[in-house]
Amino acid sequence: MSSYDFSRVTVLLAEDSPFIRSLLINSLKVLGVGTVHAVEDGGSAIEFLKKVKNDPMQVGCQQVDIVMSNWDMHPIDGMMFLRWVRRHKDSPDRFVPFLMITGYTEPERIIQAREMGISEMLAKPFTVKNIGEKLISVIERPRQFVHNSSYFGPDRRRRKVPPKSQDARVLTDKSEGVEIIRG
Amino acid sequence: MVNEKVIVRFYRFQNRLREKTAGLGVKNAEIDENALLEAEAALGKMSEDYPDWVSNLIVKLQEQHGRCVDTPEMRRDCFEEINHIAHDMKGQGGTFGYPLISTFSDSLYGFTLVRDNITDNQIELIKSHLDSMRAVIRGRISGSGGDIGVKLTDGLNEAIAKYEE
Repeated sequence: MSSYDFSRVTVLLAEDSPFIRSLLINSLKVLGVGTVHAVEDGGSAIEFLKKVKNDPMQVGCQQVDIVMSNWDMHPIDGMMFLRWVRRHKDSPDRFVPFLMITGYTEPERIIQAREMGISEMLAKPFTVKNIGEKLISVIERPRQFVHNSSYFGPDRRRRKVPPKSQDARVLTDKSEGVEIIRG
Repeated sequence: MVNEKVIVRFYRFQNRLREKTAGLGVKNAEIDENALLEAEAALGKMSEDYPDWVSNLIVKLQEQHGRCVDTPEMRRDCFEEINHIAHDMKGQGGTFGYPLISTFSDSLYGFTLVRDNITDNQIELIKSHLDSMRAVIRGRISGSGGDIGVKLTDGLNEAIAKYEE
């Protein structure tokens, strides 16, 4: 089995705790990630991504492959940052894998993150192995993106479970009103 | 959406990130075992500094506790700050080999979600948590802490039973 080569991968990391930030930068670098741009909060992350879109030379970054962000940050938290990434016209890549790092374990928080379009969640406290597993998940199990009147983000269904009732899921690829975009 | 008939759009893209990291046509890939071990070792090294780092946070918690005692009208703000710090700490302890810090911080986080009618007993509960955390760091009680860990946890639970209303 061959090993992943992360040397051409660019990660944008938003984490306000200097200790955890330093740990994550170190871990990603040792795992071989080529470039890690680290910022202290969601606001700085948004500014960085705006520059990636408008002036990539200035920030020395053409494209961010994976975003990793803490949830609980001030003044702009991870959820506001995620909302911007997925919905704002200035976002350079609304489809970018977004890995939310969080100590929140309350089910309503998990649902909130899912509804906002996270790709993966890294629960604190985490191990280096957990970081590796999430990277693999982002690479190996990307989900199609869904855009409807109330949601934009990775498909919230991870498993193919048959609908419980006939009304539960009526749309298929061939249904009227369904458009498939490939790229 | 531009086309009014469209109810939902599915975007299905080629997995370029996989092509970039695993290469074209590679079926199975894994993270290099040596890199993982090296990253674990780097984390271990950082963990040596963790007790100092967390001690600073405990000092901040102590300051907020002092404010709760001295200025009852500020309790709401203090609880908010304590809650925020506890949330941070609960996410760190386990990573750096001090799961008891995560456990006690998690408990402190739960008790400081309240914002109104904060009683003296609730302030005492904060102190009990801080005492337990300080004991963990002073004794460098990593992992589950064995008998001492059990004693500390029991002690905190007793305090919770005593002061909880």
